[in-house]
Amino acid sequence: MTEPRNPGMSTVPQTHPAHTESTSPAVEMDPVEYTLRKRLPRKLPKRRNDVYVNMKTDFRAQLARCQKLLDGGGHREICVHGLGLAINRAINIALQLQASSQGALQLAANTSTVELVDDLEPEDPDEAGEPMTRTRNNSAIHIKVFYPDPQ
Amino acid sequence: MFTGCGVVSGQNQCLTNNAVKPQPGLEVNKPIQYDNGIIHETCPIFQGQNYTNSVTQPVGLNGVSNIQKPIPLPISPPAIKLGQDGFKKVCRTEEESPCPFPGLPSGVLEMRVKEGSKIRNLMGFAMARMQGEKGGSGGSAGAAGLRQVVFTGSGRAVTKTITCAEIMKRKVGCLHQLTKLQYKVVKEVWESNQGSTSEMTVHRTVPSISILLSKDPLDPQEPGYQPPEAFSALWEDRAGSESAAPTTCKRPLGSSPYSGFSHPKKLCLGSASLSPSSSLTS
Repeated sequence: MTEPRNPGMSTVPQTHPAHTESTSPAVEMDPVEYTLRKRLPRKLPKRRNDVYVNMKTDFRAQLARCQKLLDGGGHREICVHGLGLAINRAINIALQLQASSQGALQLAANTSTVELVDDLEPEDPDEAGEPMTRTRNNSAIHIKVFYPDPQ
Repeated sequence: MFTGCGVVSGQNQCLTNNAVKPQPGLEVNKPIQYDNGIIHETCPIFQGQNYTNSVTQPVGLNGVSNIQKPIPLPISPPAIKLGQDGFKKVCRTEEESPCPFPGLPSGVLEMRVKEGSKIRNLMGFAMARMQGEKGGSGGSAGAAGLRQVVFTGSGRAVTKTITCAEIMKRKVGCLHQLTKLQYKVVKEVWESNQGSTSEMTVHRTVPSISILLSKDPLDPQEPGYQPPEAFSALWEDRAGSESAAPTTCKRPLGSSPYSGFSHPKKLCLGSASLSPSSSLTS
């Protein structure tokens, strides 16, 4: 019954077997499996007025921390850093700070490239795979949020 | 019974589309099939549900530019959420924001980076324009190409925008950079599902970035200016100032809040805010 119909809808059922077939040899080709372990970004300067934005901490907490540094901390300028996905959040924090200051604050953004190192550790120690490292680049942003000098 | 489910749903779709709006029906078919292909592989069960929802949606998709199509999955959740309240997104327009670089000549190449843009496409085009034809002596090679380029991107494309600029800086070299941040206003029109009489306009602000890369010197006093090959200088500067600062600065500042705060709550807050920072640096 269904077989003559199959050519008509051939695309639907055939995709799934094709996927499983394509993945299994790919696994066999690479007998040693590695676990990818990402090292932390290299150590960066940390002053009192440096804020490193991440994606784990609550956004409002990080915003409040910056606000506190500017308001109560007595800093004329703070530096907000964001790496990779956190770039967006860093920009958001800086723009929020600027908006809540009614234009008193200015932003100066710099961009950079940060080199990151990944460790590849063989999953199975018997397979005699050697641990490897791989370096890759990621973009970063450094936003100086400051009160301009009254001139 | 006989025909496969995919065929049936396709026919249904065409029928409803034609019934609702005959004219855009032909155009509508394309976005549907596009969505189809993506949802298809991940969860075929949802297909039927998505169809019922999306039969009317493509009218909105039609008016919208290409931006949304490559990422139907992240956009669809809010659509479904609002869909429960009886609203669907009809159109999305980005309002014109003032150029962040005043006094820029009009002929400057502007690369608008979107979420779905491929970096190789962007860079292939931009690099060709910046380098121009390679010929003559090394010094005059740049004269054929453009002198300046602007990369702009907003929302989730910000990271990609920065990456493009960074790649270009590394490849071309000796580029002066000016980075500007601003909010971009996006206007969304939502339409009621039931009555289709009530419309709702939502103004959303999306952070956006504009990066000007120039072979000619720019005003170093401008906030957001970066001289060529600034990276090492940036960090050496920081490292120099840092080596002196924290040893003298951290201790008095670290001890004074504890002595100053009498409330136990604030003490907890202080220690809590300190611990993540220390874990970050390690």
